Amino acid sequence: MSGGMDGMDTMDEMDARAAVAGDDDAATQVFDIDKIFTDGITTQVLFDVNLTVRKGEFLAIIGASGSGKTTLLNIIGLLDKPTRGRVMLSGRDAAALSEDERARMRRDYLGFIFQFHYLSPEFNVLENALMPCRLRGRAAERENTDRVQGLLERVGLGDRLRNRPSQLSGGQQQRVAIVRALANDPMLVLADEPTGNLDSKSGRGVFDLMRELNQATGKAFVIVTHDEMFAKEADRVVHIVDGRIE
Amino acid sequence: MIDRFSRSVALRNLGFNLGQSALTVGVVAISVTLVIFLGALIGGLQRRLISSVTGSVPHVVVRQAERDPVAAWDLPRTGPDAPIVVGEEVKLQQRKMKIEDWAVWTSRLRDFDPDILAVSPVVEGQAILARGEKRQSISVTGVTPELHNKVVEIEDKLVSGRFFGLNGGEAAIGFKLAEEFAVRLGDKVRITSSEGTVGDYTVAGIFDTGFAAVDGRTVFVTLRDAQSLFQLGGAVTSIGLKLRTIFEADTLAARLMTQMPYEAESWMEQNQTLLSGLRAQSQSSNLIIGFTVVASGFGIAAILIMAVVSKLREIGIYKAIGATRRQILATFTFQGTLLALVGSLVGTALGVGLTLGLMQVRMAASSTGRTVEVFPMMLTGGLIATAIGMATGVGFLASLYPAWRAARVDPIEVIRGA
Ligand SMILES: Nc1ncnc2c1ncn2[C@@H]1O[C@H](COP(=O)(O)OP(=O)(O)OP(=O)(O)O)[C@@H](O)[C@H]1O
Ligand SMILES: [Mg+2]
Repeated sequence: MSGGMDGMDTMDEMDARAAVAGDDDAATQVFDIDKIFTDGITTQVLFDVNLTVRKGEFLAIIGASGSGKTTLLNIIGLLDKPTRGRVMLSGRDAAALSEDERARMRRDYLGFIFQFHYLSPEFNVLENALMPCRLRGRAAERENTDRVQGLLERVGLGDRLRNRPSQLSGGQQQRVAIVRALANDPMLVLADEPTGNLDSKSGRGVFDLMRELNQATGKAFVIVTHDEMFAKEADRVVHIVDGRIE
Repeated sequence: MIDRFSRSVALRNLGFNLGQSALTVGVVAISVTLVIFLGALIGGLQRRLISSVTGSVPHVVVRQAERDPVAAWDLPRTGPDAPIVVGEEVKLQQRKMKIEDWAVWTSRLRDFDPDILAVSPVVEGQAILARGEKRQSISVTGVTPELHNKVVEIEDKLVSGRFFGLNGGEAAIGFKLAEEFAVRLGDKVRITSSEGTVGDYTVAGIFDTGFAAVDGRTVFVTLRDAQSLFQLGGAVTSIGLKLRTIFEADTLAARLMTQMPYEAESWMEQNQTLLSGLRAQSQSSNLIIGFTVVASGFGIAAILIMAVVSKLREIGIYKAIGATRRQILATFTFQGTLLALVGSLVGTALGVGLTLGLMQVRMAASSTGRTVEVFPMMLTGGLIATAIGMATGVGFLASLYPAWRAARVDPIEVIRGA
């Protein structure tokens, strides 16, 4: 228990230093995050969490079910607001932003990979991968088409650009989702159990792909995973126990 | 306003859920068809009813003010206000209702208001038509045919002979009168006026206006012949006006009265009950149209809500990866409005087709072979534009709530709820 407290202290010092240094090196930082859910009964899920994700870093978050991993990732991803604390993304405190401003921040600075691929059945593979660009407008879509197409080729879907998502395997669908997360050239990609819904072989493939893209593109990745094997291959592992970072 | 994202997602949704789209288009199309059909039918019925009263009479008639006859001995004879009795004393103590200076007023009326399309001086009077043993009371109308035809159409309604270029001693009569008296063109009839003047006239034209009172009772002669039949000298009994806007007849007549020494009576005064009937009819048809459009609005809303609910997951993901509420709102309002627009275009095609088709159905209206439409329809650009505009507007309004629901979707719930 005291060891855990020590770990937190160290983390605090590190984040404080980064803040003083102007966090040039940070992809994102969260300070003193508490999260309390008040719907129904009041439950505190996160306790005084501080975390800095460095640029280009491949960070794994592990922890028991219900420990608060998804909650933390949603706060880092500007999908949820902390009850207390600050979320700094690109030098701005996201807590102060309106809902639509946070949506635009997500669009421009973040990439998301979910446990399920959540591709749109109405659009083909290329269109799905380009959706974040399309959200920014026609020009952004045109500018990024070649790069996104290149990424799709790189993940082995070069001959599937015009296919519907339903015509792909689960692993292939998740690869499209990974490319979609990179479409807007984000600073940070957030993935919540991206392999959770795949068999171990395609899970392995998807994980390796993310690692490879992390190294190739220099984007920071934050990955929530249950798999100790994957975690070992990350640059850094953060353990969450009962809403606290160890 | 509607960016590439919103437009493409809306269009794909429509294409991907063709059944749903077709259903919405169908709901709107049916309501627009109904609106156009009903609007055209009510409009046509009203036009028929109105023309059944205005088609055979001038829209405004200018005549000598009718005054109650007063016995000479009842008139006050003393004081500064003592009246000077003028006018020609006639039988029954009635003054002859005539306009002496009609030529002046006819030309003044022509310039009085651009709404006045035509002006025709008229001599009207009661008479007896006789041929052989047969006699019947008729109404003699003396006119200048070319002028009068602009006020009340006769020339186009001729069954035989002529109306324009009617000469002295010639008469144009209604086909029913002609049938009753078994006269043909060139036959002679005798007219004895209420003044006792008798004249023999050659039948030069037979017309079928579709108005029983005209076809069975009216005999047209020249203005001059009528003047001598009724011993009017150079005077006429009335001046008839045709207006561009028939519903302005009331106000125009009122304005005329303030500027003329005569009385001006509009067709509307004579037909108050018809007019209030028409108003009631318009209101109830508007009510039906309103209910139809509102019902189709609820239909669109219901279908769109279904569409939104079936897309909650996708909407949540779009929002998670950066779609703003505005973009989602635009997506679904665009989707609903576009469906309503397409529906109203389809409905317009159906409604116009149906209306035009029914307009072709005609039936014989009289023994002369004249036919009328079974369904009187009045199809106007205004009606079509109103129907399209209304349905599309309602589509837009109906899509606001579903779109708002969509825009409010919380991505966290979608991500967690899977
Ligand atoms: N909206 C909410 N209202 C109340 N409690 C919530 C809400 N969302 C999450 N929780 C609770 O917060 C805790 C942490 O949830 P979270 O989803 O972050 O855990 P997790 O570490 O991602 O677990 P898992 O590994 O199973 O995905 C859980 O006990 C959960 O029940
Ligand atoms: Mg989780």
